[in-house]
Amino acid sequence: MNSAVELRNVGKVYISARDGERVEALSGIDFSLRRGEFLAVVGPSGCGKSTLLSMIAGFSTPTTGEIMFEGKRVAGPGPERGVMFQDYALFPWRTVAGNVEFGPYARGIKPADRHARVQALIELVGLRGFERRYPQELSGGMRQRCALARMLANDPVMWLMDEPLAAVDLQTRIILQDELLRLWGDAGRNAERPTVMFVTHGIDEAVLLADRIIVLGRRPGRIKQVVDVNLPRPRAPLRNSPEMARLAAQVWDLIRDEAVQAITEESR
Amino acid sequence: MNLLRVQQPLDVHLRWLLPLSTLVILLASWEAAVRATHTQGLVPLPSGIYRSGTNLTLDGVIFEAMSGSLQRVLIGFSIGALAGIPLGLAIGTIPVLNRSLRMVLDTLRSIAPIAWIPMAILWLGVRGNAALFVVAYAAVFPFVVNASQAAQLIDRRLVDAARALGAGRWVVIRSVLVPGCMPMIFTGARIALSFAWASIIAAELAIGIKIAGQGRSVAGIGQLMVETLYVKRDVDALVFYMLVIGLVSLLIDTGLRRVQQRLLPWNAK
Repeated sequence: MNSAVELRNVGKVYISARDGERVEALSGIDFSLRRGEFLAVVGPSGCGKSTLLSMIAGFSTPTTGEIMFEGKRVAGPGPERGVMFQDYALFPWRTVAGNVEFGPYARGIKPADRHARVQALIELVGLRGFERRYPQELSGGMRQRCALARMLANDPVMWLMDEPLAAVDLQTRIILQDELLRLWGDAGRNAERPTVMFVTHGIDEAVLLADRIIVLGRRPGRIKQVVDVNLPRPRAPLRNSPEMARLAAQVWDLIRDEAVQAITEESR
Repeated sequence: MNLLRVQQPLDVHLRWLLPLSTLVILLASWEAAVRATHTQGLVPLPSGIYRSGTNLTLDGVIFEAMSGSLQRVLIGFSIGALAGIPLGLAIGTIPVLNRSLRMVLDTLRSIAPIAWIPMAILWLGVRGNAALFVVAYAAVFPFVVNASQAAQLIDRRLVDAARALGAGRWVVIRSVLVPGCMPMIFTGARIALSFAWASIIAAELAIGIKIAGQGRSVAGIGQLMVETLYVKRDVDALVFYMLVIGLVSLLIDTGLRRVQQRLLPWNAK
């Protein structure tokens, strides 16, 4: 068996907190993530891409269908599936080191045994010298790196990333994209890489990072198309290349109409 | 018009001189007015307050009474914290518990703590436990209210983040819920302490009336004031006690804020 995650006819219905209406967020999602692949999920606002990610993370359960992770049904969150949140969700009462350390601490690893790993990760993401700062004292890009190091501390085989670079400025985003690729193992072999599910608004970003792109439609969210990104790795040198631009335009064509619709509907 | 002009900061010396001279003028005219109308004994004199204060400080009476009261405040406050924080956190996290207990708690909370004094005396007697009961009663609700609200407002994503990092129920409670609620619990603690301090004075005043001077009740600042009123009839001392009560609550609040800055450095702004 070669798939890390299997989604079988997954649907999600929830009751809107605003008006008590029944909202079908996702419907009939059938899909498999290959082990070691980098998958991006794009789609207009309200297509349920974050909902999909949070169900694989185990924060919520599908209304219909089932989600399998490494052959077992997902019943809740687990340290083998690391999650990165859009606005970081760092613990404000813990320092950088304290945040990075949280995973090993939560799994009951002794302080002496986790110290070296934490220190190495802090250096890996370039936060050396900031160990004792609190998240509020860091810039957006540094918080993002801290969140990344925190996720990596558990050595997860799967990275679930919910618009992790949406809140940083453009220059920082470019730098972090390159770092993300490097940490994932852009130059390495598939078998050694973690499986990634990367939810994003950025179509260029999806093309730059991913092996495949799932394009979701809205109301209810369903898979509209799966786009293969057949570009060689490492990807960083291909940034702004014509091939990438062509793929991005192709993906944008799939989304445009519904994205326009989403803007007007959201203001209602 | 002052409003229309560019505001210059006051001269450094002037900044201290102005309030100080207000105080001196106020005290001097107060003293003069009392002496002119011969109302000493009914209206306190600034010079008399100073004299009483010095005497009561030198012979240690004020310290003895104050330590009695403070002791009860601290014990009552601790009981309030130990009962109120876990209860509040539980209510804030378990909706069923919230729904079941909220109405009863809100009703109890609406009863002024000092209204319990007669019942407390009936059940616990006048030896100090009645006052302690009233103080604990006053202190528990700010803890319950603030802890439960903090727990309800806790950022769900932080809980999700912790669970995704491998945290089980107890780690989530200990390392996310409790630290996340600490700032609001501290605010509750400051309210609880000021309630407790206000209640101990009221309770001691009420309990002290019948038995002051007979040496039966445990002496606190409230009892001392009752004795001063009925037995000694010393208005200067009464005002001195009032000033001390104000000073102590100011010190307590400042102290708690310091503790908060020390314990929650991430929350200090």
